[in-house]
Parts: sequence; structure tokens; C-alpha cells
Amino acid sequence: MSDFSYQRLTRARARGLLAIAVQSRFSLWLGPDHLLHVESSGYTESYKRFYFRDVQTLTIRETTRRNVWNAILILPVVFCLVVLVISLFPLKNIAAVITWSILATLLVVPFVINNLRGPTCACELRTAVQIEELPSLSRVRKTRRVLAKIRPLIAAAQGGELSAAAVSAQLRGWVATSAGAPSGVLAADDPNVPPPLDS
Amino acid sequence: MEGVFNQPTFAPCPACGSGLQVEVFPALFRKTSAGQGGETIMMEGESSCFYHPQKKAARPCDGCGRFLCALCDCELDGRHLCPTCLETGKTKGKIESLDNERTLYDSIALALAILPMLIFYFTLVTAPMALFVAIRYWKAPRSILHRTRIRAVAAIVISLLQIGGWATLFIVLATRR
Repeated sequence: MSDFSYQRLTRARARGLLAIAVQSRFSLWLGPDHLLHVESSGYTESYKRFYFRDVQTLTIRETTRRNVWNAILILPVVFCLVVLVISLFPLKNIAAVITWSILATLLVVPFVINNLRGPTCACELRTAVQIEELPSLSRVRKTRRVLAKIRPLIAAAQGGELSAAAVSAQLRGWVATSAGAPSGVLAADDPNVPPPLDS
Repeated sequence: MEGVFNQPTFAPCPACGSGLQVEVFPALFRKTSAGQGGETIMMEGESSCFYHPQKKAARPCDGCGRFLCALCDCELDGRHLCPTCLETGKTKGKIESLDNERTLYDSIALALAILPMLIFYFTLVTAPMALFVAIRYWKAPRSILHRTRIRAVAAIVISLLQIGGWATLFIVLATRR
């Protein structure tokens, strides 16, 4: 066993919109000098380590998953409410009213939770050799909290943080290099230029 | 495009318009240094690499003590290992940072003990299986996330109770005759 304990950053979350037939769940843990990405099937665990010195970028992209779930979850609630209103006027069957009220209340809970948790996102971590999606970072608020925690650790491992202006200057340098490169030498052939991100 | 890098808020992606926030770290602009190939022996009597007799030894392996050239020197977790020790360490699970997969026998035993209780008759077969798995793999490496043995202990207790229940039932049925 290792001498250190991993610190949990996120709870286990399945990948994908429909996590009903869950095969694997993903979680993120913080080690002394790396992030540990755990894929768990319940009976086996697979680990991927991303050392702080190797992390190049962390990309957070807003997704529409929350809105999709809202649309899915609101339909049964609306249905229950419509039936409830029909049952109320005229009021003939108290049991039906109570039943539909309870159902509507129960079905509105996931809808409320989905909205309370905030907007959804997709997060990707990039190193020199891979682009890895982190499915457990699925909410913007949680992702930014995790990022705030690991940013100083990554910066310490790499010798400092970059300002937005410094990043822009470096990127302009790359563009200028590829634009003014001699014929036959493309930025894609330069081993020091990271591979382009797939859309 | 520049507005999306190292900003505290989302900026619209120039391609699809969705909110985008990119944290860029210095490693992105770090030049890749060429790997070392090892120096050739120039003078007779110089120590040579165990795997490349023509190359000069740079350091000994921290695992087996063999001399290694710069090419064979595999640095991991502050240790310098030869390729053989690295492979052995990975295969035998001695180097935890190379351990990429673990089977959770304690979870398997607990599942074997609990899940068949939904259809209780299955426990006649699965209870001994759960007990066997829990005991057989008691010392097997658990999750690197430092789980305790509580799952294995629970599996043993539950399966023993189930076995005890079945034994009691059979004794009662036998004595009734």
C-alpha cells in the first residue's frame, strides 16, 4: 500500500446521458503529484494517473445536458399536474387527488435537484500524448471548484501560471511560425507543437 | 479565440458558440527534449551497460544493481530501474505507480453474499462461493484508494449466517422424519 492517501475530488459518475445500464463509473482523486482518474465497474478498478508536470490544458465546455434532462423530467410532472387539476374540478375522488399530488411531488424532486446542481459541462484534460475526458466533472460549479484546487498544484509543478496575455502571445508565435515556415515544414510536423484537438 | 484561454468565465467557442473555458499551463509550450541514447565507450576498461556492451554505464539499477547506460535508465518515482526490473515490478504488482488495474475481490465476495438473497434459494450455492472468495483472496491487493477489509468481513459474516441457516433447515427437515 502507498504511504499517502488519495483525496477524493469527485464522486463516482457514469459516462453518458443515460446512465441506466451502467457499466463503469468514473471518479477523480488527488494524489501528491498527480491526479488519479478511476474507472470502476464495481468489481474491478482501472487507474489513469495524470502527473501535474504533464498537464497541458483543462477544457471546460458547456453542454445542454441539464436542459435535456429538464425536458425529460418535466413531462411526467406536467402530466401529473394536468390529471390532478382534472381530478380537482369537480372534486369527486379524494384518493385520486392525493395520489396524483404525491406523484407530482415525487417527480418534481429530480427536476429541482437537476436545476439546483447548476449548469452542466464536459471537461477534458490534455497532455502531450492524450486528450482524456473526465466524466465525473459534469457540473460547472463542481468543475470550477476542482480546478481552483488543482490549479496551484499544477502551477507549482510546472514553475508558475500563465496569464491570458502570455498564452495569447505564445499562440500568436505559433501561428506566425506556421505562417512563415519554409515550404514543406508545417506546424503539424513540428514535434514541439501539440496535436490539434479533435472537434 | 484568445478570449477563451485562462479566463475566469466562459467565452463563446468560435466554432460552435457554446461556452468554453480553457486553462492553459506552461507544459503546453514546453519543448520536448530529445531522449538520451547513451555514450559509446571510448576508453578500454570503462564500465559498460549490461544490455549494451558498447555503451558506457551511467548508473546502476536500483532494483538489481546492473549497470545501465542512459538509454536503459528508466526513471520512475525517483528510482532508476532497468527495463527488466520495470517489467517485473509491473507484472508482480510491486511498483504501485504502474498498477493500472485491480480486481476488487472483496466487492465480488460481498455481491455474492448479498445479491442472491433476492432469490433466496440461490444462496445455497452462492454462500459457500462468497466465503471461498473472501478467504482465498483475503491478502490480495485491494483498491489503491485505501479501502478497509470491511467488505470482506461482511461477506464472511453474511455467508456464514446463510450457511448456518441452510444447515439448520436441513437438520430440522432431517429430524422431522
